[in-house]
Amino acid sequence: MSLSRLWNTARPFCSVITWTTKSPLSTLAVLQRKTSAVNVLSIRQFNKKPSRSDKSADQKNYTYYVMSLVIVAIGCTFAAIPAYRIFCEQTSFGGLTQVAKDFDKIANMKKCEDRLIRVQFNSDVPSSMRWEFKPQQHEIFVHPGETALAFYTARNPTDKPIIGISSYNLTPFQAAYYFNKIQCFCFEEQILNPGEQVDLPVFFYIDPDYVNDPALEYLDSILLSYTFFEAKSGLKLPDPFDPKNRPSIAPSPDKVPEKSN
Amino acid sequence: MSQTGPFIRVTTVSAPLKGSFPLDHEGTCKLEMLNYMVCLHEKKQQNSECRDVAKDYFECRMNHGLMDKDEWQKLGYGDTK
Repeated sequence: MSLSRLWNTARPFCSVITWTTKSPLSTLAVLQRKTSAVNVLSIRQFNKKPSRSDKSADQKNYTYYVMSLVIVAIGCTFAAIPAYRIFCEQTSFGGLTQVAKDFDKIANMKKCEDRLIRVQFNSDVPSSMRWEFKPQQHEIFVHPGETALAFYTARNPTDKPIIGISSYNLTPFQAAYYFNKIQCFCFEEQILNPGEQVDLPVFFYIDPDYVNDPALEYLDSILLSYTFFEAKSGLKLPDPFDPKNRPSIAPSPDKVPEKSN
Repeated sequence: MSQTGPFIRVTTVSAPLKGSFPLDHEGTCKLEMLNYMVCLHEKKQQNSECRDVAKDYFECRMNHGLMDKDEWQKLGYGDTK
């Protein structure tokens, strides 16, 4: 139902209501006066010539508005510098993932006595990897700003040399941001001869800025987990650019099982 | 497990500062390592108490060519000795 039809149907009801409350003559008079007043006001508004005092007051208002805008803009430019820095730190935008790690920082950092962080150690191997790999200590209590040493042990019980390569993981992620490793045994191939057992040290420190992070105020436990994978060295994968290595329908000679004597 | 979002710190697995420890195949520094483990066990896994023993371990490593020689200050042992 359109609006005009609605209004037409409602109008008799409205008039009924007004009849019940007031006399029709008075309502009519009131209506007439109101409409005339509205008309007069609108006409007055359009015909009004702005007087001199009004003009200067208006100009003053405009200048105040513009000046306040300018001041706010200048304030924004001043505030943008620390705001951008905080934004970059929080979101690790543009690769600024961690606090600067270098030897000068390690040399100058101060130990924070009031926080004691418990670093727990975990080790994993995939089921196909036949090394025995475990940490020598379950946990170690470290102050932020202090370098610490921890050990893992790996043993090769088989009769073949096995090459392993490890990766690590740290939880919780907020705390992992402050965990820096000076030297460890990850990401490089380590070969273990048959029956050999070797100690793998991890030399790390927790950044002293750990105590300044409000999200880490009640977090005192970090888990460091290493996983050792087997690296098959000497494995020659087929070269994708080799012209002989092309898919073909005809069975290639080396795929057919040879019956050799 | 890996969260993504606008305000989440991206934790990337990064290389260690001094690289990787060469493996101690012959077990030349095993004694120092065991001393360190015993110290940790005695002092209830407190790292602060056993820093001298850790320093001995690093010295052993450096003397036998299993670690690059570095000043103690750079390894965070400037205050000891």
